[in-house]
Amino acid sequence: MKVLPFFVVSWTIAFFSMAGSVAEAAANTPNAQTILAASDAVRNPEKSFGLTATLVEYRGGKQTDTSTLAIYSRADKSGGQYRSLMRFVAPLRDTGKLMLKNGNDLWFFDPNSKSSIRVSPQQRLLGQAANGDVVTVNLAKDYHAEVVGEEEVVDGERKKHLAYKLALAASAPDVTYHSIEMWIAQETNRPVKAKFYTESGRLLKTVYYRRYQKQLGVERPTETVIIDGLDPQWVTVMRYADYAWRDVPEAWLQRDYLPNFQPE
Amino acid sequence: MRLLPFSIFLAFAAVSTMSSAAEDADEAALLLADSAPMAAQKSSAWRISTEGSVGRTRQRFGLDDYNTVRGSLDVYYDGIISPGWRAIFADRLDRSFLSGNINNTTINTLKEAYVSWHRRDDQIIDFGRINAHYGVGYGYNPTDFFRTSAIRSIVSIDPNTLRENRLGTAMIRGQALLSGGSITALYAPKLVDKRNDASFSPDFGATNGRNRWLISGSRQFTENFNPQVLVFGGDGQSAQLGLNLSTLITNATVGYIEWSGGSSKSRYDDSLGINGERHFRQRAAAGLTYTTSNKISLTSEFEYNGAGLTKSQWAAIGNGPVASYFQYRNQALDYLDLPTRSAAFFFATWQDAMVNHLDLKAMVRFNVQDQSRLNWLEARYHFTHADLSLQLQHNSGNRASEYGGQPQLQVIQTLLTYYF
Repeated sequence: MKVLPFFVVSWTIAFFSMAGSVAEAAANTPNAQTILAASDAVRNPEKSFGLTATLVEYRGGKQTDTSTLAIYSRADKSGGQYRSLMRFVAPLRDTGKLMLKNGNDLWFFDPNSKSSIRVSPQQRLLGQAANGDVVTVNLAKDYHAEVVGEEEVVDGERKKHLAYKLALAASAPDVTYHSIEMWIAQETNRPVKAKFYTESGRLLKTVYYRRYQKQLGVERPTETVIIDGLDPQWVTVMRYADYAWRDVPEAWLQRDYLPNFQPE
Repeated sequence: MRLLPFSIFLAFAAVSTMSSAAEDADEAALLLADSAPMAAQKSSAWRISTEGSVGRTRQRFGLDDYNTVRGSLDVYYDGIISPGWRAIFADRLDRSFLSGNINNTTINTLKEAYVSWHRRDDQIIDFGRINAHYGVGYGYNPTDFFRTSAIRSIVSIDPNTLRENRLGTAMIRGQALLSGGSITALYAPKLVDKRNDASFSPDFGATNGRNRWLISGSRQFTENFNPQVLVFGGDGQSAQLGLNLSTLITNATVGYIEWSGGSSKSRYDDSLGINGERHFRQRAAAGLTYTTSNKISLTSEFEYNGAGLTKSQWAAIGNGPVASYFQYRNQALDYLDLPTRSAAFFFATWQDAMVNHLDLKAMVRFNVQDQSRLNWLEARYHFTHADLSLQLQHNSGNRASEYGGQPQLQVIQTLLTYYF
């Protein structure tokens, strides 16, 4: 059942789940929370959507895994989070398997055995998962932000940007990352780069947001590059394509619907 | 006085060096990403795999050991045939060659063949042969009411494989989806009187030998509380109630309980056709799954069958008529039911066990009444299109016990599965 590293799935969801209720940053007012929320809005469509995520993992400079997911996300009215249904397209051994994510409510469905299993955030059902990433995705909601500097930072395409450097401290109890450093371009509120840390201050991951393209009306990053904090030669590249506004009915996002999910 | 500026210089140099190393690592990673092939794979309605295995079985009670060779073809189709209509087809063919005097076998398992009509986003009707699996238990599923007699060919005793390679039941099933809940009702009619062991028989006698029905409902009360309630009935039996509940206990621990209860005969009376007393009898599986940070998942499950034999009853039939003893054992096996009152189940998985792409699994089934045990290990390596695995099984216990009474003492097999 080894597919893509599941943390990658988590990242995919995290990437599209950082929904901020504030769509416009106050450009002239460096209020950290507002900047963070605006950065969330750059990443996340404001209503239900679908896309395809392709993931390639490298270790020691060699490609070790690749996988593809179809993702359907619905904006949650109450919390500002997205709730998502993911369908594995590749690799072949995992085609058709589903993952449902409603906050901490995680379910895995195997169409072969017709089994729906609740998954803990730490449980790895598909590769080296870190489902914790999935459940702590709304940065503006789960973290208290502070502007700690204004820096020139090099983005994932080696271009320099003047960016706010934000220090994010967890304000919710169950988040995976105790703290985050995030660089957000001053002119555009685009996320450029982020570093995720444990409570002990150990660097877990460095992430670059890059290849901005107009998707669903907004310039959004269509690729993230994730570099493991402990082993910098463990690199995961995630690319997003086939963006589309898609009705994701509320009724789909429950365990008992999973056997009846209709792939397209 | 001279040391201080020098130490500051050293500290600055160290930070500068670390920063430079990090930048170099980031640049190397970005270069790698620049060249990443990113052609998204397209979804296919078909999933086809073949599997070959060779193995050896050591037996006891004076029976000869034997070798096995098996080839299998597994086909799965899940596609939209017209707007709102979906078709599902799943079939498996196993051809086994066994050394010695045992007959070679060909067994086809028509797992599923049904159409699904999505009348609306929240109303679905399914019709055909459906593998209607229920239950949150890992090793024992008391609410999986359609599990009885559904397995035609056992290729692995991995619980997930057993749930996968089985006959569905012919039924009509309707589901209404509500906001935060759902209701499902199904009816599985009697189609055929007797089972048919012929190689390519769809064997509706095994799955549709009597009229059965089931109603289930679930409701998401909170993020972490989503119980499923079932009522199951059929010809010749009282209605049985069922409950499935799982919850997140900690960030790394899931707890679950699966329960069924209703008036019924004991398993022993049922297997021998004895018109025994009916009582309210309960079955349950309750367990915990804990996952460590290094990708090891440990499941521990307690299993209870109120219709199974107590320790003394089990010992008594072990010393009684052989025919009755085997008839009872065989029915318990066929119904995937516990022959005795209680059992313990342990399952461990370790993904990327020391080597990337290598998964290890270990399972122990322990009969609490007779202290017999089944041990199973699997090492599975994932290639891009194939899995190579080695499985070991060992049964231990005294001659009249659940696992010690099985003729197979030890089974070893290697499997190669190729995904097209």
